[in-house]
Amino acid sequence: MLRITGGRVYDPANGVDGQIRDVCIADGRIAAAVGDGARTLDASGMVIFPGGVDVHTHVAGGAINFARAMTPEDHRRTVAFIRTQTQRSGLGGMAPTTFATGYLYAGMGWTTLNEAAVPILSAKHTHEELRDVPIVDKSCCVLMANNEIVLDLLENGELERAKQVVAWQIWASKAYGVKAVNPGGVAAWKWGKDAKQLSETVEGYRKLTPGTIITGLAQIIDELGLPHPLHLHCNNLGAPGNYTTTLESMKSLEGHRAHLAHLQYHAYGGDDWNTMRSETEAIADYFNAHSNLTADAGAVLFGNTVTITADGPWQHLLYKLTGRKWGNLDVENETGCGIVPYTYRPSNIVNAVQWASGLELLLMIKDPWRVSLSTDHPNGACFWRYPEILQLLMSADFRRDCMAKMSEEAKRRIRLPELDREYSLFEIAIITSAGPARALGLSNKGHLGIGADADIAVYNQDQDISRMFSHPRYVIKHGEIVIEEGEIRATPLGRSYVIKPQYESTIEEYLRPLFEDCYTMQFENYPVELERVEHAELRNCIPAE
Amino acid sequence: MNLTVVKNATCTFCGCVCDDIELHANSERIVEAKAACILGKSWFLNHTAERAYPSALIDGREAELDDAIAVAAEYLDKAHLPLVYGLSNVTCEAQREAVSLAERLGGVVDSHTSL
Amino acid sequence: MRNRADLVIYWGGNPAECHPRHFTKYALMPKGKHLPRGRKDRTMVLVDIRETKSVKAADIFLQIRPGRDFEVLTILRAIVKGQYVNPAMVAETGLTIEQLRDLVDRMKRARFGVMFFGMGLSMTRGKHMNSSAILTLAAELNAYTKFVAMPMRGHGNVTGADVIMRWTTGYPFGISFDRGYPRFNPGEFSTVDLLVRGDTDAALILGADPGATMPQPAIDHLARIPTIVLDPKVTHTSRLARVHITTAVTGISAPGTGYRMDEVPLPLRPALKSPYPTDEEVVRRIHELVRVKPDWLVHQPRTTQQVF
Repeated sequence: MLRITGGRVYDPANGVDGQIRDVCIADGRIAAAVGDGARTLDASGMVIFPGGVDVHTHVAGGAINFARAMTPEDHRRTVAFIRTQTQRSGLGGMAPTTFATGYLYAGMGWTTLNEAAVPILSAKHTHEELRDVPIVDKSCCVLMANNEIVLDLLENGELERAKQVVAWQIWASKAYGVKAVNPGGVAAWKWGKDAKQLSETVEGYRKLTPGTIITGLAQIIDELGLPHPLHLHCNNLGAPGNYTTTLESMKSLEGHRAHLAHLQYHAYGGDDWNTMRSETEAIADYFNAHSNLTADAGAVLFGNTVTITADGPWQHLLYKLTGRKWGNLDVENETGCGIVPYTYRPSNIVNAVQWASGLELLLMIKDPWRVSLSTDHPNGACFWRYPEILQLLMSADFRRDCMAKMSEEAKRRIRLPELDREYSLFEIAIITSAGPARALGLSNKGHLGIGADADIAVYNQDQDISRMFSHPRYVIKHGEIVIEEGEIRATPLGRSYVIKPQYESTIEEYLRPLFEDCYTMQFENYPVELERVEHAELRNCIPAE
Repeated sequence: MNLTVVKNATCTFCGCVCDDIELHANSERIVEAKAACILGKSWFLNHTAERAYPSALIDGREAELDDAIAVAAEYLDKAHLPLVYGLSNVTCEAQREAVSLAERLGGVVDSHTSL
Repeated sequence: MRNRADLVIYWGGNPAECHPRHFTKYALMPKGKHLPRGRKDRTMVLVDIRETKSVKAADIFLQIRPGRDFEVLTILRAIVKGQYVNPAMVAETGLTIEQLRDLVDRMKRARFGVMFFGMGLSMTRGKHMNSSAILTLAAELNAYTKFVAMPMRGHGNVTGADVIMRWTTGYPFGISFDRGYPRFNPGEFSTVDLLVRGDTDAALILGADPGATMPQPAIDHLARIPTIVLDPKVTHTSRLARVHITTAVTGISAPGTGYRMDEVPLPLRPALKSPYPTDEEVVRRIHELVRVKPDWLVHQPRTTQQVF
């Protein structure tokens, strides 16, 4: 039992906005009260947040693991975690090791994350890695929008059967949600082609378009009643002028729920790299008027990172642009995956537009509940740099200081100089915790109401926002103090959230021959056994009527 | 005699790791490996469940497993820079344990890849 | 690949003998969704320094001079980009400029090309430079068509070792924990170098038989220091070791997971029950005994943890 007294509590889901009150914890959950024998933490002068939730990150699986292999020079210069008797060693940096990933997230007060891209055949590998990410709770999204079996069914209009296949696939891969990456485009990339417009037929199909894939999957997911809506990485990522594709994608989702991943990368105007500009206003206007959508920012920070996505075509473009090392990983039929180390520079106009666009979206989307903080780690920046973004959001002056380094030409292409909005701590608690928890449909996360998981971050109140959020005074995970004044106190293994949607067992007979025809793997050997997912916790679907 | 049939068995002999092998086995040995290639067949058929070797050897003499484990732990713990090497023909589960042990020992872990 | 690759190139490998089902199951024979006639829809090219049994399966066999892989790859890259090629350098490769131009032509015309490279490329003169050259060639060919290159890994689960070491330590092999966190420096922490220099003072060997394959000075050092071997058989290394422990056979009597060379994990389903423990179990038990000994890394005492 534990009582935290004297702190300013920010619990947006329960309407608590900085009031000083006690937070009580019993049996790993928030309690109404605890007995006199409870240990008390004095949080005077501190602020209390529900533990951070990352709705979109890449921390486990074949792609990030490939990135680790490609960046030994970065491992050497980065933070090292020395092993102790209770703690495995690890390395931070652009692509941290699994153990370090858990330490770094918890180390800034984040306690839940969603691994956003699991290729079908890599599901087992991803869960093995997630098992070695300590402290935080985890979920993952399986990639479906370029799966040949599903695409064939959508091509033929067999939505009901496609739904069964999707449901089977979620359970077989022990996923929590479904991610669509560049729908149809990655399938076309297998031919070295891309799918850029929503109404264009996908290479290799008669009538299937990215638009029909998006609508079909969104409908399936709503009908299955998954807690997290379709997690969509729109077509045409990163390309000048792509905001029209994004607008089209959002329109095709009317009547359905959807989460738009790393929206910043999809909000560009212009005709080419020389004329590229921010079109965040058009995106934000549409988004503000359509409450069926949530998004995460996919913000960019200047500096080094390594970019990895399941979007092979975009990665190849980056490689051509930068001439830096490029790794491409095609997991049979699944998704391509590209990896390129990258440095975002304020002196580069394209990078400046990207940097501004992420912040613009966070500032122009009016409802903080519908936009979450993310950098699409490691693509826009590493997740452990989130506190820098919070500082940018909370201080217009700081933003102006940063923009002072940019060229006038860059400033003409962005809207950021006109935006004066400054986030409050209450709003920060929404975009870092309450909002993403709600977007994920995790009702026990992101708030401090009675019965919620006791995942709590306690920060020293500090004028230096970046320092404040980088160094929590305490982090409590499931009632246990895991971080105390920068020291890792405990490294418990978090839970994994898994969904079991309804499907008819006959779908297996339908799938088996297709699966074995499509993949060089036996159908029976595919599913991830539940016992291999450590601390698995099944969550319910609420199927549509 | 009753044969155990294991369907969708996986062959780890070469890097292909074919997983569509059907094994027929009695209590002693595998008598058939359907779908396996010539290398895979000899891999499966040449191993038995017999006690063909002693449980352990210490300095070349037969020893109990528990004693061998204790002596091994003693040697490794005493060393300044122990090496954990190989890791090819073992399961991922064993590999994870091996990395974890090397970390505790403050040693080096390495695989065939470095050759 | 199975469904799409219409140009399959094997470089420095002998799949017919070393990976017998690579042709039939994965790369060459299967009728793919987009290659309905299977083998007939594909062209197979074999690049090697000698005629192996794989030649029979190939449409085109390019025999190059030993140790000239890097030169051939670099010339191919030049031809791909339409750059000048020095005839004297071509002559040294053992191939003609026509053969090389024809290959580049086929590469560019392919809808989906794939190059598998074996130890004949990655373990001979040039080593990782060769691997790097073939990967670069594949990357550059993507300006024209879809092209990939991947290694043909040899033994069983070496891919698993690589994958696991990467996620736990950030590095694929040759990792030192002597400072309490992972460090990587091939040449410094790779096994043969450590042994030949005599840097290591104990060894635990599992899933390998270095006593049969390593250079003699390395083997001599293994015999000098306390070496511990876990293996289903009494191996060459066991004979020079202080301790040998017999273990169950991976995938035959020991269950678990193995990674395919393309990093897809597969379950191992044992058909036999072993009288011996698994490697996993033995390593864990050794670790348990080590864990209760005084830790060489000294730490500040920590307060005991409590769940509130």
